[in-house]
Order: sequence, then structure tokens, then C-alpha cells
Amino acid sequence: MIGELIDGPLWYIASGTFLLGVVWRLFSILRVGVAQDFAPPKGNGPAGAVRTVFSRFLPRHPVVTRGRLQLIAGYMFHLGLFALLFFARPHVDFIAERITGTEWAVLPHWGFIIASEIAFAGLIMLWLHRLLHPVTRLLSSADDYIGTVLVFLVMLTGCLALAQSFEPLRLLHLFLAELLLIYFPFSNLMHAFTFIISRGYTGATMARKGVNA
Amino acid sequence: MARMKFYCDVERCIECNGCVTACKNENEVPWGVNRRRVVTIKDGEPGERSLSVACMHCSDAPCAAVCPVDCFYTTDDGVVLHDKDICIGCGYCFYACPFGAPQFPEDGAFASRGKMDKCTFCAGGPEQDNSAEEQRKYGSNRLAEGKLPLCAEMCATKALLAGDANIISTIYRTRVVNRGASVLSRGVSYQNAELRAARGVKGKSSLND
Amino acid sequence: MTGFFSPPPLKGILSLLLVMLLLPAFPSFGATADLEQSVQPIQIPNPASDLWREVRQRDAAMTGSTQALGVDGGVLINPTGEKWRQFRMQQLLPYGGYALGAVVLILLLFYTLRGRVPIKAGMSDKKLFRYSVYERMIHWFMALIFLFLAFSGLILLFGRSLLLPLMGPALFSLLASASKEGHNLFGPLFALALVLIFFRFVRRNIYQKGDLTWLLRGGGVIGKKHVPSNFFNMGEKSLFWLLVFVGGAIAASGFFLLFPVFGQGRVVMELSHVVHGIGALLMLSVIIGHIYIGTIGMEGAIEGMKSGYCDLNWAREHHDWWAEKCEQRGEVLDRDQPISARGADALGTPSGQMSEEAGK
Repeated sequence: MIGELIDGPLWYIASGTFLLGVVWRLFSILRVGVAQDFAPPKGNGPAGAVRTVFSRFLPRHPVVTRGRLQLIAGYMFHLGLFALLFFARPHVDFIAERITGTEWAVLPHWGFIIASEIAFAGLIMLWLHRLLHPVTRLLSSADDYIGTVLVFLVMLTGCLALAQSFEPLRLLHLFLAELLLIYFPFSNLMHAFTFIISRGYTGATMARKGVNA
Repeated sequence: MARMKFYCDVERCIECNGCVTACKNENEVPWGVNRRRVVTIKDGEPGERSLSVACMHCSDAPCAAVCPVDCFYTTDDGVVLHDKDICIGCGYCFYACPFGAPQFPEDGAFASRGKMDKCTFCAGGPEQDNSAEEQRKYGSNRLAEGKLPLCAEMCATKALLAGDANIISTIYRTRVVNRGASVLSRGVSYQNAELRAARGVKGKSSLND
Repeated sequence: MTGFFSPPPLKGILSLLLVMLLLPAFPSFGATADLEQSVQPIQIPNPASDLWREVRQRDAAMTGSTQALGVDGGVLINPTGEKWRQFRMQQLLPYGGYALGAVVLILLLFYTLRGRVPIKAGMSDKKLFRYSVYERMIHWFMALIFLFLAFSGLILLFGRSLLLPLMGPALFSLLASASKEGHNLFGPLFALALVLIFFRFVRRNIYQKGDLTWLLRGGGVIGKKHVPSNFFNMGEKSLFWLLVFVGGAIAASGFFLLFPVFGQGRVVMELSHVVHGIGALLMLSVIIGHIYIGTIGMEGAIEGMKSGYCDLNWAREHHDWWAEKCEQRGEVLDRDQPISARGADALGTPSGQMSEEAGK
């Protein structure tokens, strides 16, 4: 009964909320627009935007040395999670069945192991850093903790359900994933989409001003 | 009730692997899993012998003793079976079993051990006898149809015996009496014909021809 | 009645005798006319008994050849399986349970008799910088993973006897499966945490003069006199080395069990399981004590791992050599002093480490 609810209606509600929420959030950001800059441009804005979106993947030197741990743990978590989310066999099967209809290449089992270990190590480290570092502790809001805990629980239940033979464990994983999908558009987790906008905006304005940023 | 046992007559096994093939075919065993295997000792040397081995359906089964979720049970026929809905694939039965009977398909996302699979004496599992579900998880349930395991039924030389322990041991005892303790220790079997005839033991006897 | 007591037919006795005498090399059929000529000292070896001796691996481990692909396929009978079963069912399970119970009981007894170890001089208004953010991070990283592994491992070890009767097979099997998968996945993270902890803390955990005195006086429990110590005392150093060696053995044996795809045979896995089980229970017993001291056992002990700063009076009473050095260098801070740059730096180094390195 509850299982059918999680597997059926709730899944559609969650994915619908996620899709509409993300579109609405992006639309409301883009609708604000950019203030007209009347100064003569000293550089190519769009080119700067594209350049910055990619160049910011490599942080600047002071960030590398001061925040080495966050940098490493951050990349570990994000890359690991990305690999798990889109290239783990159960996920590919699920997405192919429910959304795309076609499958794509999946990670071999050892790749799956490494990706999940990396993702877990990174997430727990970042979480502990947020809790223990006096500055990040002051900066963190409830939103950050809810997002972290939800992602962690989704990953944890996913790993507990790895035997793929106990339906309640799969449903628990799916249920938490649905909660995450509903929560996603209205939280800091939107950075998965908005980082392009913020980097692009910074890159475009700076390039237009002729600043090497 | 009957107490089901396998017995492999080493004097007769010719390592044809017919039992292995019969088992795989009858039970649709997944890749990488061999419920039954034939082991040859002293391959190519004097005294070479082959034995077909699978789950021996022990009376005090080590696998059942060490299972952390207690998924094993013994049927009224003395067949040791397990419930794949409960098995978690930890591999402890594999460590404890002397015969290497428990097998694990490398499946699941991590290719960690999947649900354990082993010889069921062609007796299926806890599901409804001969249901599609039972067929899928455990293979055939010939015992419920009144038949014996296919490996033994298919054995060309009747080396592999399966059935009630009393009947199996009677058959084997008769064979031993007929040929002497071992073909190798006593020379070729027909050389003992004279001996048998002198004692009035039944069996192939050149003297009686 | 006479028929009942009459001797059984000769043929019956004969066949019975034959079966009984199968195993030893027995060249004679016995009790018949040709008895005299066939009773001779046994000269020829009996290949049949040799065969079964080899199958049972009486003399040495031997393997046959087989068409079945897979590790250990050629082993007909693995005699160590039974030994492993005896170990797990008759030693590991009962004695492991007793050991854990005993540790908890001893700690309860100690707590009721001696109570919480207080800071005798009371909390001061000064503090000392003790652990950097990074050090606290890897400590809690290890702690989280250790606890998860401990609980999931205990479910797999004791669940059948303790939880299964309560939960029923379906629910317990679900829990056990989740525990197994989680245990497997978090295992490698324990190894990672171990490596991080080792490199970060090893220098401060090398045994030094005074540690033996600490040990002989039981860390101050035996006798009234105070036992001095440095940044880490003898007990903490021993915990560290236990974690490195026993934890290392647990992690290494875990890898053999976790990946059954590298061609290791059953004997290796059985041995690994023995090491894993004994090591884990030993480590768990010690860690229960560690958690006890950190939480209810001692006032002020957890402060350093929580905020990075410890109370000055606590340091004076428990790590007096280190506290002295800090005071000499004027590193004492006021309790309400804002966070120092060094404390905020993720990879900052506490002064204790510096002073010890300088001292060497």
C-alpha cells in the first residue's frame, strides 16, 4: 500500500515538483535580467562568461592552499555522486524504464565501488568540516544541514539496498530520493544549476570591463 | 521417512561430466555457478579416480549452523534446502561447507556475493511445489514429482547414486561384494571371478559361463 | 522361535564382514575355505584407501583437477571448514559476547564506585588550543565509520541469537542484508580513516619516558598519586597503536572477505574471518572504554575534540607536561577569546605537536 504510493503517485509528484520547481527558479532568476551597462565594452562579454564557467573549476592559488581539504573533499563528493547517479546500473535501469526508454553505458562493478567510496568519504568530510570549522559553522543555515542530511540519507539507504533483493529497502531509498527531489528546487541544492548563471554573470561583467577575473 | 543421500562410486565414474550438464540444464543454473562438479584425483597418474560432488545434504549441516540469518532447513526427506528470500549472501556457508557446495553468482551492483545457490537434490525450495517462482529461484522439483535428481538418473555408468540412504547403501554393498574392495587393490574384477565362484557369491563369473 | 535364534545365513555374515573391512588394505576375503592360502602379510598398498586418505586431506592438502571453473574447485573436502565452524559457533560467539558484556559491566561498576573524574581545581577561565579542525574532522570521521561498522557487524554476529527471535525471519533478514551491504561499503572508508589518523597523530604517539610509570600506576587509578603525561598519555598512545595494528589487521582481513574475486581460496577467507572477528571484538571493547572516558567518565575530556580548545585546569591535571610547555610559551588563551586564525585553519597545527617535535 505504502509501497505502491512511493513507487507510483509520489514518484510522479516528486519528479514533477522537481522539474517545475527548477524551471520556475531558473526563470525567476533570469527574468530579473542584467542592468544595462552604458560604458563602452572593453572586452567580449559572452566569451568571458563561457571562459569563467570553465576556468572556475580550477580554483585560484590562495583557495587551493587555504582550502585544500574542501577542494579535495568537494571534488571527491561531486564526482563520485555524479558517477553514482548517472552510471550505476540500478539507476540507469530505473531512468531507462521510467524516463528515457534507452540505456547507456554503465560503470563496471569496481568503478561503482570506487565512486561510492569516494562520494561517501567526500560528503562526510565536508559535513564534518561544516560542523567543526568555526567560520563555516557560523555561515551554515538549516537549509545546508537539511540538504546534506537528505543527500547523505539517500546515499546511505542506497548502499543498504545494494543487495537489490529486499523491496522495502529499495522503497526506502526511493522515498528519500523523492523527498530530495521535492526539496531540491527550493534550497541551496539549486547550485547544481545556478552555478552556471552566477559564474557566467561574473565572467560576462568582468570581461566587459576588461578585468581578468 | 526416507533419508536422501548421494553416493558416487569411484570405481565407476568415468569423468564424463554428464551429471554436471544434466544439473545445469535441468535447473537452469546461472552462469558461474556449478551445483555439481566432477573432480579427478591423480589425473593422468596410476590410481586416477574421479568423483562427482555436490551438496551432501549433511545430517548436521555446517552451513545451517553458521548461517547468520538461519535460512537453511532440512526437509522430511533429509534434504538440506535454503530460503533465497532470507539469504543475504554473506558467504559463511561457503566457508563452513567441507564440499564447496554453496555457490555465489557474482551479481548485484558490486558483484558482491548474490544469493547463495546450491544443489537442492532436485527438491526445489520453500515455495509452492513446481510453481514458476520455485523453478526460477531453485530450479526443478523432481522429488515432488516422485523422481530422483537428474544427475544420478542421467549417469551413464550408474556411478552416481541418489535416493534413500538404505537403498543406496544396499546397491553399493552388493557392488562391493561383487568386485572386491577395489578393482585396483584386487586386480581387475573378473580375475576375482574364481574367488567369487568358490564362495558362492553372485556376480559375473567366468567359471559359470 | 528356533528360527529367530538360528544363526543368520553365511552369506549375510560374509557381506557384512566385507563392508566392515573395506577401508584397511585387506587382501583377503576371510572366513572361507581358502582362508589359509590368502592370509598373508599385506604387501601391496591399497590405492582405494590411499584415495580416501587424500580426499579427506589426512596427510597434506591436495587438489584434483576439474572442469568446473572457480577457486578451490579441485578440493573435494576442505577440513578447515569444520574448524572455522567450531571457532565461530563455540568460541567467537559466546566469548565475544562475554567480553563485550564484561567491559560494559566493569565500566558500570567503576562509574558507580569512583564516579566521574572531576577537574579538581574546577573549570578555569583559560583555555589551550588542542586539536585543529582537520584533526577533529578525521577523528569524528573515524568515529562515525567505526560506530556504523560496529553496529552492522554486531547485527551480523549476534543477530541470529538475539534479534531473530524478536523480529522474525523476514524483517531480520532485511536488517541483516542492509547491515552486510553497509558494512561492505563502509569498510574501505575505515581503512582510509585509519591512514589519515595514522599520519596525523603518529608523531605525538611515540612512547617516551614516563609512560611506563603511567602504565604501572594504571593511569592514576591505582594509588592516589597523580601521574604526569605529555600531549597524549600512555593510555591514549596505546589506543592509537592498537588502532593502527589491530585496526590495520581488521581492514586487511576485511579486504580478503569483501572481494571474493581475487582468487583467494576458502582457507584464506576462513583465516581472515578469524582475524577479523577477534580483532573487531578486541577493538570494540577498547573503544567502549574510550567512549566512556570521553563522555561520562571524565569531566572536560571531550572539550578538545568538540571545540578544539581544552580547559587549562583539565590540561594541568591530565597532560601536565604539555600544559607546562604551553604556559611557558604563553599560549594560554582566555575562555571567551575569539577563534584564532590558527584554530580556524583547517590544516593548522596545534602547539603541542610543535613543542614535541622541538623536544625531540
